[in-house]
Amino acid sequence: MSSGCEHMIEIQDLRKIYQMGQVEVKALDGVSLTIDKGEFIGIMGPSGSGKSTLLHLLGLLDDPTSGSIQIEGIDVSRLTDWERTMFRLYKLGYVFQDYALVPELTVKENICLPAMLRTDREEKDYIAATRDILHKIGLWDRRDHLQSELSGGQQQRVAIARAIVNTPDILFADEPCANLDTENSRMVLDLFKQINQEMQQTIVMVSHEDWHKEYFDRIVRLKDGKMVNGGR
Amino acid sequence: MAKKELRVALFLAWRSLVRGNRSSMLLNVLIISMVFTNMMFFPALMSGIGVDIKEQIVAYQTSNILIEPAKGDQYISDLDTTLAQVNGMPGVERATPHYQMGATLKFRGRLLGTTIHAIRPREEKYVSPLYTTMIAGSYLGDGDKGEAIIGELVAGSPNIPEEDEFNPSLGGVRVGDSILVEFGNGFQKEYRVKGIFRTGNFEMDNRVIVTWEDMEEVVGEPLDYAPYITVRVKPDYSETFVKNEILQYGLREKVQTTEDLLNKGIGRALASFSIIGLISMLVSLVIAIVVLFIVIMIKTLNNRRQIGILKAIGVEKSVIMHSYGLQVIILSLAGILVGFLFTGLIVVYMTYYPMVTPEFSATPYVTPLDLAFNGIILFAASVVSGYLPAWRVARENIQNVIRV
Repeated sequence: MSSGCEHMIEIQDLRKIYQMGQVEVKALDGVSLTIDKGEFIGIMGPSGSGKSTLLHLLGLLDDPTSGSIQIEGIDVSRLTDWERTMFRLYKLGYVFQDYALVPELTVKENICLPAMLRTDREEKDYIAATRDILHKIGLWDRRDHLQSELSGGQQQRVAIARAIVNTPDILFADEPCANLDTENSRMVLDLFKQINQEMQQTIVMVSHEDWHKEYFDRIVRLKDGKMVNGGR
Repeated sequence: MAKKELRVALFLAWRSLVRGNRSSMLLNVLIISMVFTNMMFFPALMSGIGVDIKEQIVAYQTSNILIEPAKGDQYISDLDTTLAQVNGMPGVERATPHYQMGATLKFRGRLLGTTIHAIRPREEKYVSPLYTTMIAGSYLGDGDKGEAIIGELVAGSPNIPEEDEFNPSLGGVRVGDSILVEFGNGFQKEYRVKGIFRTGNFEMDNRVIVTWEDMEEVVGEPLDYAPYITVRVKPDYSETFVKNEILQYGLREKVQTTEDLLNKGIGRALASFSIIGLISMLVSLVIAIVVLFIVIMIKTLNNRRQIGILKAIGVEKSVIMHSYGLQVIILSLAGILVGFLFTGLIVVYMTYYPMVTPEFSATPYVTPLDLAFNGIILFAASVVSGYLPAWRVARENIQNVIRV
């Protein structure tokens, strides 16, 4: 299925229409975009512009109404439900606005959870990976704490660690600083930037904070479901 | 499902149970254990009543095998020869005859219609534990004349006025008192009460018993005939085996085991007990299914977003479904084990303090098979009612659950 192209993500004329009763809402209206490996892309725009919808479509969390999405040359719309799950497990990582950690798991357990399911990883591999990541995000000392014992910034760093434990090809982040103060937001963004630079990690992040743009390599701006600039 | 996925499902289930809401978990275990106890208790009590009735009938009325006259005959004739034949057969502990005659008892102005039974006291000891049930005075001896032992219900109580009595009695007969007996054949005789017995069996405790020799006096001739013979079977032999032996020997009388008699007599009542017990068990089972379904449904609905997140990060829906299913399995196993304990405690308690009614004294009768059967049924019901909501939520669209 690989076309041998160099783009990490390539989307063509992507549309997403929601039916709200009798009314059709065009959440995305013909967006075309390419993202290269190692890019740190910021998707920005006002509320209701379609930022999260685009991120969810790229992250295989939702299906487009029309248009195509190719990730590493694979037309992901052709994947079965199980293949999409495996694609997310092996190739994608997610960071959510509200951290979305499992409250009954410790920091360490939350981080290694996605890695536990991979058939190509032994227990010693993901334990070592978790240890390294915990050191990287500065939470080694908090490894046995539960979510309820962490600050918002610490929780989001754990969520980032969980997202990268499987060394995904693409890391998606949906407004990861929305619930954080400036200091913690900066800490989280610095971590994203560090991961992006040190690991050549492709990152696609939705944000509505203007000052975040200093971290992005490129900004894709959306308005009313259309891309107004930043596309390629 | 692969071993790795099952391991993750178990990991998530266990963490959720031990680090989740502990009081909720304990409540769930308690509910399941109560349901199990309820499933066990009522049917066990019904079985216990059935077993008690059977044991009382065997002990005091029919013994293991009842021999009655052949069709068309009023009595078993040539009694001593018949008894000798039966007593000589393999598996027979002892066979003993019974004779009965209707009579009216008179005591201090009270009249009571009853049946006078005649026994051979020494032989009766091998067949019935009646001699162990004396609550006053003593048991009859062979050759006793003019003496009778009476059931507690016949003796009655001096403290209960006649008009208030549920069961007619002589209003407080004590050992040593004399009762005038008017037999159905017109014969009258005064008997001294030698002893009073309490068996717990309604019919038995309404009897008056005299010796065989006394009854011969009433009848006016030697009693070489009897309306029935009761046969006690040796412990290592089955009733059916001994019955077949007796029949093969050529005895022309009607020979029936306890089972034969129970099937005809109280068989329908025992079947009704079984049906009531089964209905009770089914009701408990429905309660268990509904409760567990609601518990897991609430849990999965509360965790819908988390389930969506797990799916988003690549956790297969089967892993999610099994993680909830395994929680139910663990909860139901714990609940069933606690239920075993509760049931055991109740059985032990009621063995020492049985539920006593005028008709029987009931102790729950529980067999390992009952425990296993009910445990498996409840476990299966728990698994279904737990997996169903988990399966529903796990297969929902990620977007639908993630937006909650």
